[in-house]
Amino acid sequence: MTLSSGTCGQASGSLAVLRALQQALEEQGLAEKVHVRVTGCQGFCQEEPLVTIQPLDVLYCSVKPEDAAEIVAESLANGRIVERLCYRDPLTGRLVTTAAELPFFAKQDRELIGRNQFVDPCDIRDYIAAGGYAALAKVLTQMDPEKVIEEVKASGLRGRGGGGYPTGRKWEQCRVAPGCEHYVICNADEGDPGAYMDRGLLEGNPHLILEGMAIGAYAVGARQGFVYVRNEYPLAVEHTRTAIAQARELGLLGERILGTDFSFDVKVARGGGAFVCGESTALVASLEGKVGEPRPKDVHLVEHGYLDQPTVLNNVETWANVPPILLNGSGWFAAKGTEKSKGTKIFALTGQVKNTGLVEVEMGTTLREIIFDIGGGPVNGRQIKAVQTGGPSGGCLPVSLFDLPVDYEALTAAGSMMGSGGMVVMDDSACMVDVAKYFLRFLKDESCGKCVPCRLGIDRMLEILTDISEGRGRADQLGVLEELAWTMSVGSLCALGKTAPNPVLSTLRYFRDEYEAHLNERRCPAGVCQALRSYFIDPELCSECGVCLDTCPEGAIVEDRPFRIDEMLCKRCGLCEEACPAAAIRRV
Amino acid sequence: MPNMVTITVDGARIQTPEGTSVLDAALEAGICIPNLCHLVGVEPIGACRVCLVEVVEDGRRRMTASCTLEARDGLVIEAHSEAVMRARRNIVELLLAEAPNSRAIQDLAVRVGVKAVRYPMRNNTCVLCGRCVRVCDEIWQSKSLGFVGRGTDRHVALPFNKRPDLCKRCNNCVEVCPMTITPCPGPMAEPRICGLCESQLTMVENIPDTCVWCELGRGFQCARWQRRGLLSKV
Repeated sequence: MTLSSGTCGQASGSLAVLRALQQALEEQGLAEKVHVRVTGCQGFCQEEPLVTIQPLDVLYCSVKPEDAAEIVAESLANGRIVERLCYRDPLTGRLVTTAAELPFFAKQDRELIGRNQFVDPCDIRDYIAAGGYAALAKVLTQMDPEKVIEEVKASGLRGRGGGGYPTGRKWEQCRVAPGCEHYVICNADEGDPGAYMDRGLLEGNPHLILEGMAIGAYAVGARQGFVYVRNEYPLAVEHTRTAIAQARELGLLGERILGTDFSFDVKVARGGGAFVCGESTALVASLEGKVGEPRPKDVHLVEHGYLDQPTVLNNVETWANVPPILLNGSGWFAAKGTEKSKGTKIFALTGQVKNTGLVEVEMGTTLREIIFDIGGGPVNGRQIKAVQTGGPSGGCLPVSLFDLPVDYEALTAAGSMMGSGGMVVMDDSACMVDVAKYFLRFLKDESCGKCVPCRLGIDRMLEILTDISEGRGRADQLGVLEELAWTMSVGSLCALGKTAPNPVLSTLRYFRDEYEAHLNERRCPAGVCQALRSYFIDPELCSECGVCLDTCPEGAIVEDRPFRIDEMLCKRCGLCEEACPAAAIRRV
Repeated sequence: MPNMVTITVDGARIQTPEGTSVLDAALEAGICIPNLCHLVGVEPIGACRVCLVEVVEDGRRRMTASCTLEARDGLVIEAHSEAVMRARRNIVELLLAEAPNSRAIQDLAVRVGVKAVRYPMRNNTCVLCGRCVRVCDEIWQSKSLGFVGRGTDRHVALPFNKRPDLCKRCNNCVEVCPMTITPCPGPMAEPRICGLCESQLTMVENIPDTCVWCELGRGFQCARWQRRGLLSKV
């Protein structure tokens, strides 16, 4: 049986479930016969912890410790399905017993994340049993480095960290760059709010990344690699370290790998939690022990990277794609996807949708399919308004653009970006000015502050947005915002500053009416901006119970006949709205 | 004799030794690319972004800072194109709103044609150009100053806020600071580009983006000042 226990699973109590399962197995005398495999995140984070039982092929969702005894007694001892714990389709009410039938999984192409289910991240034997390290063996024994690079180039694999630079070309540039030592680095400094694809991969299947890095190192001629992972991912750090130790033990890392002349080793470096260190040059500076600040990009990492030596830096997901490509051939990979974007991409689907979790789809899948078919559409019968892709520096796309395919060029043209793959869905309860403000505030804190356009530009943009959301905005400020955004996008030092205005630009482009409502009518259409909303008591519904009188911290409720709210005293906190038992207090 | 490379800046062909930055090459040739954080003799960091230029390659234009751009043979640079001037204006406007009392920044603003500031003025004294930090580190090998903090919290400070023994009070950091090159008597009467001291705003109102013999240029060893022989009189 398999129990998913990544960070998301553990947060849902998977460790207690594990103890309960083991105890139940012990009590019923099955401990010897049943192997409990503790895996990383399987993607369906909404319903964690997930328990799969083989050979019965049944999937249980949201398992609680108290269910353990029943699962063991029914499914393991007697081979019966506990229907109570199976997933029920919220639309049709149909019972789903196997993972393959799950509507969340059905439309996906879970090439990478699907492997998590078969692998205990702390046990290299699982990975090898699932076909792991076969690609490395094939590469080391049958291919020369040029051939490997050719193969990766032919596959059309592009950087999954967001930039979309062709991986094969990057490797080739690094290979030919002069230097006494070459390095490969895995960028696992994932800092986007609401994105955790890299965490899911690294903590669920660390050997896949290590194998990818070893192949990359062989191709570019490196002997040393680094996994730069943020310290906020303790499980990923731990699993990667365990994986490295196990691989070393079996001779899959270290001196003379698999008896060939190729030597390669990996170190784990922990990041201190700066978002900007996900930027490649800042990451390398941080790795060298310097302040994690980007440097001008006119000199590329592939020539002057770590310790001024040629360095290949790729994202976790990019590395994870390498072993399957080499094993199955570039044609297999290139067959998937659109003309310029090949393969599959993992997205972290979060926000106001029914099913949240890690979603892996073929490139070219439309946003609508991801959000409505896989994500299950809006919650609480609301209307989905927009989706924010690409992390804080991506953009918000409106429903009218949901037929856009997931493709580097298509998303960039629409004013957003692929980014590393965060996907935050917003419904009509979200105010787009407030959303833009949220992301700018994040970027303001995370900007390194080195260059003027980014440091002061974000600051001033936030100042203007705050003015707008607090009812002090002027119509000419929209022009200033656009001018600032343009300046930042052309003038900033690194990609963080260059893409920082995207949340503002894209909301201005698709939701300009909301900005104008804030400016001209001093009204927030979604009722989010505190300063612009007001409350009134519906005399028809008010029962004059007096709960609001006690709740209001400002004493703004006037005990007239009928009750009313003193606009001068009201701080628009909304406590009375929540407290009113008759729902007579409404927001306008 | 170092290898010479030829670059084109605003249509002028300039020969310069290999490894020079585009900004240095242009200044040397008397083409004034406005700049702030650039300092002769220390490593460029590309922080102020005032010296932005456009690189024209195969018909495509890409904007980058000229101080960190190394001169390569055949490089074509547009230092005063429409887009460059617009970006530069916006950036200096941001700087000016941050530290309106600096004469150096006022001059810079006049030089690039900032007419008005669209943001509320703040009265900060530091724009984080990092001149002091780099002089202390690279020229005096003292590392007594450094950047602390991130984003808007970033500021220049002594290590652990205590003057280290390595600091010999050479005062060089003060000398290179754009706030002190010629300090404005300030405070400004109104929040606008000064006009109280002898800023050349009125002089060049009709012909923006011409050389105003800015004080900044003198401090920065602009080629024009050097040629006038005024540098020695400073």
